[in-house]
Amino acid sequence: MIPYIARRLVLAVPTVIGVVTLVFLLIHLVPGDPVDVMLGETARVADKVRLRHQLGLDHPLPVQYARYLSHLARADLGRSLYSGRPVRRMIMARYPATLELAGGALLLALLIAGPLGLAAGARPNSMLDSVSRALAVLGSAVPNFYLGPMLILLFAIHLEWAPVSGRDGLAHLALPALTLGMGMAAILTRMLRAALLDRLHDDYIRTARAKGASEKRVLLKHALRNAVLPVVTVLGLQTGALLAGTIITETIFAWPGLGRLTLLAIQTRDYPLVQGCVLVITLSYVLINLITDVLYGVVDPRLRVNS
Amino acid sequence: MLAAVAGCAPAPSLPPGYVAVGLENGPITLDPRFATDATASQIGDLLFDGLTRLDDQSRRLPQLAARWEVPDPQTYIFHLRDGFRFNSGEPVTAEDVRATYEAIRDPRTHSPKQQELDAIEAVDVLDPLTVRFRLRYPFAPFLNETGLGILPATQLAASPTKPLAQPIGSGPFRLLEFRADDRWVLARNPNYPLGAPRLAGVVFMEVPDALSRLLELKRGTIDLVQNGIDPDSLEWLREQSNIAIATAPSTTFQYLGMNLRAPPLSDVRVRQAIAHAIDRDAIVGTILKGLATPATGLLAPTHWAYSADVTTYAYNPKRAKELLDQAGYIDPDGDGPAPRFRLSYKTTVVELRRRIAEVLQEQLEQVGIRLDIRSYEWATFYNDIKRGNFQLYSLAWVGVEDPDIYFLTCHSSQTPPQGNNRGYFHEESVDGLTEAGRQTLNLSERRRLYGEVQRRVSQLLPIIPLWWPTNVAAMNRRLRGFELRPNGSYVSLKDAWVEE
Repeated sequence: MIPYIARRLVLAVPTVIGVVTLVFLLIHLVPGDPVDVMLGETARVADKVRLRHQLGLDHPLPVQYARYLSHLARADLGRSLYSGRPVRRMIMARYPATLELAGGALLLALLIAGPLGLAAGARPNSMLDSVSRALAVLGSAVPNFYLGPMLILLFAIHLEWAPVSGRDGLAHLALPALTLGMGMAAILTRMLRAALLDRLHDDYIRTARAKGASEKRVLLKHALRNAVLPVVTVLGLQTGALLAGTIITETIFAWPGLGRLTLLAIQTRDYPLVQGCVLVITLSYVLINLITDVLYGVVDPRLRVNS
Repeated sequence: MLAAVAGCAPAPSLPPGYVAVGLENGPITLDPRFATDATASQIGDLLFDGLTRLDDQSRRLPQLAARWEVPDPQTYIFHLRDGFRFNSGEPVTAEDVRATYEAIRDPRTHSPKQQELDAIEAVDVLDPLTVRFRLRYPFAPFLNETGLGILPATQLAASPTKPLAQPIGSGPFRLLEFRADDRWVLARNPNYPLGAPRLAGVVFMEVPDALSRLLELKRGTIDLVQNGIDPDSLEWLREQSNIAIATAPSTTFQYLGMNLRAPPLSDVRVRQAIAHAIDRDAIVGTILKGLATPATGLLAPTHWAYSADVTTYAYNPKRAKELLDQAGYIDPDGDGPAPRFRLSYKTTVVELRRRIAEVLQEQLEQVGIRLDIRSYEWATFYNDIKRGNFQLYSLAWVGVEDPDIYFLTCHSSQTPPQGNNRGYFHEESVDGLTEAGRQTLNLSERRRLYGEVQRRVSQLLPIIPLWWPTNVAAMNRRLRGFELRPNGSYVSLKDAWVEE
């Protein structure tokens, strides 16, 4: 297993470099000048030229790129153009909040999709199944920016069970995690149900039933273990998408996470901050993919890699 | 799961005597040497004192300085009051004033305010409570630079070029703590010489979404939201029993910018036609729900230099068509769909701006002008505007203080990239008047000069005035004594209190 993981990590390096390079090019070539944004309306041309030089923005692009990579090799993400603060510190101040939100959403999604998908797969075409399918469609179709305020109106304003926004404790996590996790719950429910129904026709299931195993044992011990594989795939892909979905949810719930920081950095053309945020997000994706691959090996012995 | 956490839904976590203010964007930095965003200066008024402060007519009143003299047009001597102390305990002295101004003037600091202090030759300490500014040339707008928040010389020496995370001020409140760009806690300064605040403190919270801000207000976790309120929310706000709404005039000026370098906009008759074609009352009434006043010029009526003796352009599509005909742009098919000419109109992606753009498009269509609306993300949009790459656009001047803004926007030397005369307006008489206006210190002479500028500008129309937005505050009824200031400052919180 270890050589497998090591090899995957090594393969991740060119991916990360590729993404970082692409983002570097895009953010530098897009119109909009960070010095303009920083110095504002009344600045003199000479001031801008001097600042541009001090920040190293007047060097040719390949030179700036080389400098960026050399700083990166020393784990130095530079300083935010706009606020002067170290990028790494700014990101580390916000990253845990995003992790908390994504983790909470993931957990909620599993808690909803697990039982619901299982029940629907066990009793296809029943009332429960129909309800679960309807909920799944609703969960996929309703966008974050609608679901969020609706949940706030119901749970925070009418019932006063949860706070409106902000990050201060477990209660504050409930609504944003639900908003973000709903879409994922919908997909996982359908995926689990479909995978289960697929597996329930296999030969070993018939064998188990013929041996006299209870339906519950058939479902949980035999069918589920095999059905989980495609669900793990979807889980891996969707968790990556979850990171992207945090931007809207963070805005609605005033959640101080990385998504909003990235958005603000792009709006102010804060090059080092944009690059730093994207780097962290890319590394997170790589890690999630790696964990997904390892999970495959755990769940299905046939997929354990033999070097 | 929700029921499980319902048990731990916390009561609003504000200490007694505190109020919470919801902000759309938090300040990037509160350090007065670097703070350029409006929020930073609005909050800064609570933390720092300047030599002078602004009154509601945009005139300068004493604050740190009890009085000042101008023995000659290039010398200002300020006499500081005794009794102001930084919240670190040290008294505020002339040396602190000198150090703050010198820090900004120092090119190594790269302060965005360096250009504003260009007129200063030297800052000298005459005695611990007297500071003298010598200017390189007579410069009437100089007093506007004396609102700058003063920092302790000791703190400046410790961090000469990097923005201070926790700048020390002498104001009615001090910065107690802040958390990762989304929360700033201000505590009362009980020793403030101009009257200690009644509030124990203020918490500023960043809540980026407009709807969430209002819902927090309804819930009671936020006590005050100033501006950033969607006009469509007003009706709902008025129905809430725990919320009061206040409105007051602002010094913000929303205008239509035009590129005067090329036809058809180079012809003043075309510009006047456009002004007549716009029904501003309709836009203010329906889209802005009455939260603005149709404007006659850059300076609002509250301003000391405001002149009402200007040409105004009432909604008159018939007159607009006449002017366009006179200018030689005949409508090819009368009232049919073909336009006289097309113009591109750049705006941002903000929903309100786009709705206004659509109405302008419709109104101009009525007189035979086809508007192509192009909306961009802010930095891209601003980039185009700064470079003069546009035909029409709409923007606002926020916090207009000195009439010298006419120099910056109308003088022929201030075209891009140098200044803000983005339309390339050039008129000899206006050049002369705005130059004279910045050199004479006599207030009534300045009023006369700028009155003439306003008159000329209203005739020649380098920009079309749209409206002065009204400042709106929605607050919890328990908050008393908060008054809206024309520049959106939160300074009146120092006189506010809560009634439970």
